[in-house]
Amino acid sequence: MFKKILIVEDDKFLRELMSKKLITLGYEVVSAADGESGLVMIKETKPDVVLLDLILPGINGFEVLEKAKQDPEIANIPVVILSNLGQGEDIEKGLALGAKDFLVKAHFTPQEIVNKLKSILG
Amino acid sequence: MEDKILNYTETKEDELRRVRAALLNILEDTEDARKEAVREKNKTMAIIENLTDGILLLNNKNEVEIISPLVVDFFRKTEDEIVGKNFIDLFDSEELKQFKELIIDTEKRKVNPVIGREISIGKRMDIEVSTVFLGEGPEEGSVLVVLHDVTRDKLVERMKTEFVSIAAHQLRTPLSAIKWTLRMVLDGDTGEVNEEQRELLEKTYVSNDRMISLINDLLNVSRIEEGRFLYKQELVNLEDLVSIIVDSSQELLKMKKMELTVDKPEKPLSQVSVDREKMELVIQNLLENAVKYTPEGGKIDISISGDDKNIIFKIKDTGVGIPDDQHDRIFTKFFRGDNVIRMETEGSGLGLYTTRNIIDAHKGKIWFDSKEGEGTTFIFTIPVPII
Repeated sequence: MFKKILIVEDDKFLRELMSKKLITLGYEVVSAADGESGLVMIKETKPDVVLLDLILPGINGFEVLEKAKQDPEIANIPVVILSNLGQGEDIEKGLALGAKDFLVKAHFTPQEIVNKLKSILG
Repeated sequence: MEDKILNYTETKEDELRRVRAALLNILEDTEDARKEAVREKNKTMAIIENLTDGILLLNNKNEVEIISPLVVDFFRKTEDEIVGKNFIDLFDSEELKQFKELIIDTEKRKVNPVIGREISIGKRMDIEVSTVFLGEGPEEGSVLVVLHDVTRDKLVERMKTEFVSIAAHQLRTPLSAIKWTLRMVLDGDTGEVNEEQRELLEKTYVSNDRMISLINDLLNVSRIEEGRFLYKQELVNLEDLVSIIVDSSQELLKMKKMELTVDKPEKPLSQVSVDREKMELVIQNLLENAVKYTPEGGKIDISISGDDKNIIFKIKDTGVGIPDDQHDRIFTKFFRGDNVIRMETEGSGLGLYTTRNIIDAHKGKIWFDSKEGEGTTFIFTIPVPII
């Protein structure tokens, strides 16, 4: 059974790049381009892990994370934040809301991001 | 007898005439003086009325004698509500309480010396306040309170830092895309890459990473200027941070065939309270500079020592040094030494500016000792918290 990964990312190109990398490595990928549909997708597709951007149209990533963690049906799905925010207080806030990890896009390569996901998927 | 009386009367009349003339003279002088005083007063009032600063003149009993019209605008009160009142009985609203406390010590009933302090009035205005004590003479004990409106300056400053911060975040997204694409192509995710292509793409990748780190520098600078730079302070051993940075720089040192020694006491030093990430940035900046500005085969010596008051960090290189005439500009924003610009080394001119600000924020000190052509030693201290 392939592991399923949900990418919530509003930038089309970044979404495509990340999807391509994950598909090449044999993962099943689903994606959403904004906060609302991201939240709906978590519920509908029950992914093994969520890669979540923070600055999103509509409800932002922090709110998606907060709502997901309040919903017992999906609360235990691990969420990794992948954003270009990355100041101390953003990271603290993300982790306090229950994110497994906080990655700054510009500081990681796709392979490094995949490695993080692997270690979370076990 | 009659003659005598006549004579006497004449003399008296004469005298009276003279007195009258003298009196008229004095009266005229007084009139002139009065006119002069009125002229002076009008002049002073005209100056005060047209000042672009707010002014309150307090007498030695702290009563408000004169205000400039702008004071009315600043405090949203009428002139009658302020002039003639004692300062101690004024400005008790929530919005102005902070201003009042700054100006006057209500217990000692004395005006505080203030030079150019910025305070906000509610959320609507920022003013810069000074008190000027008038010297000897009839005005002794009078105080001039000067209010300079800096609302616009502050707004522009805020907009500037906000702009840099947003621009930097926005720039990171396309740069991430470039980074990811290049890395995936280089990793062979899109098929074979030949040697020549690989070489070019590797260089592009490094270039792009340099741009990312430049943006990180700009973000740091804009945070410094917003005054919310230090994040979370925790107790750490500075020597541990040094080890982490030194370990992660081995590759770089090997590339330039440089020798690095670290001298630290066997016993752990006192812990210091620092923002860990920022302090790592300081050590990294100083080490990177030492490596960058020292020719191949050079030597870098780091030492960490301390007493119960301060931890002292020193980093000495055998590099190109800082030209004498540029010593006083080394910590300013975007500054780069003439000699290092000629060497065509990369640098944003933000490293030492950021470093100094981080050290300042930790109440430490940083300085250096350098001779062109011989090398540079940077030294910083961080105070040990008093327990």
